[in-house]
Amino acid sequence: MPALRLSDKPKPIDLPQIQSRIPKPEELVVLSKPLLDATIIIGRALMDCKNKWAIGGDVAEVISGVNVQPKHIAILSTKDGCDEIARKLAEYQVEPPRTVERVLDRDANVDLKLHKVRIKSYTSRFDVEGSLLDVHGNLQIKVGEWDWGDPLDFDPDYVYVLGVKMPIVPLKMKSELYSGLGWTDRAIKIHEAVMRSRHMFG
Amino acid sequence: MPTTITETPADVVILGVGYMSGVIAAELSDPLLNNGKAYSVVAITKGPYWDYVNDFSTTKYDEWGVGLGRKYDSPLPLQSTTIRNTPYQFALPVRRYTMPIQYHALGHGVGGAAQHYGGTMGRQGPWGYQMLSQTNTRYPGTIDTINPHNDLQDWPLQYYQYEPYYVQWENAHGLCGNYNGSTDNPGSDSSGYPWMSQNYRLPPHPLTPAAQLFQSTVQSAPFNYHPFPHVNALASQPYVNQYGVPVNPCVYDGYCGGLCDYACETGAKANAAYRTIPAAMKNGNFTLVVNSFIFRLDTDPTSGLVTAARYYDPQGNVHIQQGKVFFNGMWGYNMIRIMLLSGVGAPYVWKSDPTMVSGTVGRGMTNGYSPYRGTNVSGTLSNIGGNAYPAGNAGGGSVDIYDLMDDNFDHKNLGFIGGSQIGVGGYPGGGPGNITFAGGVSSASMGGTFKATQKDKYLQTKTVLSSTPFAPDLPTTDNYVDLDPHYTDIYGDPLARLTYDWTPNMYVGATYLATKVKDIFTAMGASNVTVSNTVLPGAVHNDWWGHHLRGGCRIGTDPTWSVWDKWNQCWSPTVKTPFNIFGAGEITNTSGDTVPSGTHVAGPQSYRAAEGIKQYLGLMTPGLVP
Repeated sequence: MPALRLSDKPKPIDLPQIQSRIPKPEELVVLSKPLLDATIIIGRALMDCKNKWAIGGDVAEVISGVNVQPKHIAILSTKDGCDEIARKLAEYQVEPPRTVERVLDRDANVDLKLHKVRIKSYTSRFDVEGSLLDVHGNLQIKVGEWDWGDPLDFDPDYVYVLGVKMPIVPLKMKSELYSGLGWTDRAIKIHEAVMRSRHMFG
Repeated sequence: MPTTITETPADVVILGVGYMSGVIAAELSDPLLNNGKAYSVVAITKGPYWDYVNDFSTTKYDEWGVGLGRKYDSPLPLQSTTIRNTPYQFALPVRRYTMPIQYHALGHGVGGAAQHYGGTMGRQGPWGYQMLSQTNTRYPGTIDTINPHNDLQDWPLQYYQYEPYYVQWENAHGLCGNYNGSTDNPGSDSSGYPWMSQNYRLPPHPLTPAAQLFQSTVQSAPFNYHPFPHVNALASQPYVNQYGVPVNPCVYDGYCGGLCDYACETGAKANAAYRTIPAAMKNGNFTLVVNSFIFRLDTDPTSGLVTAARYYDPQGNVHIQQGKVFFNGMWGYNMIRIMLLSGVGAPYVWKSDPTMVSGTVGRGMTNGYSPYRGTNVSGTLSNIGGNAYPAGNAGGGSVDIYDLMDDNFDHKNLGFIGGSQIGVGGYPGGGPGNITFAGGVSSASMGGTFKATQKDKYLQTKTVLSSTPFAPDLPTTDNYVDLDPHYTDIYGDPLARLTYDWTPNMYVGATYLATKVKDIFTAMGASNVTVSNTVLPGAVHNDWWGHHLRGGCRIGTDPTWSVWDKWNQCWSPTVKTPFNIFGAGEITNTSGDTVPSGTHVAGPQSYRAAEGIKQYLGLMTPGLVP
């Protein structure tokens, strides 16, 4: 059957058009495939872990809908948890557990003054199919010359990453941390993600 | 002054951006999924891009505007369809979104109809893919009596061959459920529910008290059925799919189902816009064209291949989008209509003698949803623990059985094939339902009865059980889609014309199934269990255009009756076959039992088509993918 004759000529139509804006690629939240694959491997390997652990860092934020660009995976746990995870992920380990203290790249901004931020943890490092994983046991934070804080503790939230039930560091705790450090841009990103996930702007 | 604009050619051009198109976009635009090849992909849709926060959060709590005004839906002045029951009638156009003609509206824009649906899902089992051959084997010589002018056919592949594609599709959209209700999901399953190589990726939504009562009742003697939580696509938990797209969970706001199936303001209601399209957009070689109305496909007169899609933008300009391969993911009739308008494929030509019909495009239309007037079973339970769900969602909370569908019971001398999924216990507050008179004024929809019903929704004193079971609609040579000779769209092109009426199998099955449901309701302890409105075949006629239309553009084993082959690639016979167009959607389903969602059954076809397109792009000369 031949195609029907085309309409006589183009014409504008008198119908309301919804001019919604298409987001730019950088506005869309997507976890890269290498990090996604590594996260799933980790989740499956640690499924029956006896010690408390949770995905932290930027990966935890992305899988909760926060628009950040993670470069590696981080896990928060206890010292015993760090040892247990090291055993369960032994085939991927590149650095054994040890206490590490370092200065973060970004300063805290408190009362309009910049302060160095130090973290201290019982840390081991892994390479999971090409993705870097740092496991932090008993992570503590020190701002400027203040005292070291208590080891971070939390009740994890859960996200199903391709069916793997994954504990993650709660966004609420991260938001409070960022606010305390004066990293308002990061706190705002979390707030934006929470608004998108809650009924009527939370 | 409108003008003609030639766009940059693309490798893959997608027509419509609904559920199936999203898969094609995500799969073809990612070099990591294509051996490093970065295919350029363009997807064109007549509606807008919907942002669930900006577009729905503050505007969806508008029962009148959403439910009756259909402000999110496909504008009928742009295009509609005409309907009639037989080829001997004059078809009339659908001009308003109103009961009973059009209750569930068409989708519009990115995400398509799945922007506002109940999220109901459920796999189709092995029998559904081989309905014809299984029936001929077990009940030889009966199909032509059961289904006059029969056009039932088998699918090109069997269930086990689609199973891996089911998994991919369920991963992408985060379906909720728990196998078939058994703990071990045995490969050789006796529950009726198809075996699964992996469980659904999210747990089911919490069950209501009525669902739990149904579950315990049907598990016990004398039934010994196999209940399982209702499968659906409304995320029960936060989720990340295989493309790395994070998904917000359902917030149970109560504006989900009801008369119109509301859009979701957190994106928990699975559709392409919030599962697959973000992955494609992130890939960088994907272009989304919105508010643009596709009106023709150009074909090469020598090769027969499709060369371009032509579309209008809102200003009336004509755009020409050339491509190497095309994917037809338009909804329902629109998939058929664009092919008929463009001379792509062989149009179906009806004849009163079923042996004389010809063509494929438009042939084999069936309806996957219940008729408005069906055989209904109802009963009332006294308060069984209060209403824990004054709000809820459209697709969760209930329990289903598959024991009374497919060929899971002996159909000898019953006069019908297939059956019905039976489910009980959805959330009472899954949808607002305040404007009940939209469904027709009655004593129950006004005054004191209406007020009492509304009060009981929140301060529950009883639970009303209701079921309208029916057996599957079967393809005949008399139900089809073609172009209407009288009515046109806003641009002057013919509308699609639906010639359709319910087939006898539905109502014969309903009469039988209603007695089974009555037994269950009685065993649950319901009072006043009655079978009402027993409808006999031919007693009522179709008066709507439905939202779960199946067939009409079928995949199949033979190009004399199917448009698409086992790769969902066009092989519909013409002088020059347009091999470079693929298609998938509920409208391409060959057949099916009354599984709750033909969408779920269509889903695997989209992954199959994506695989076919990848192979096609690797062919040296255009032809069928082997």
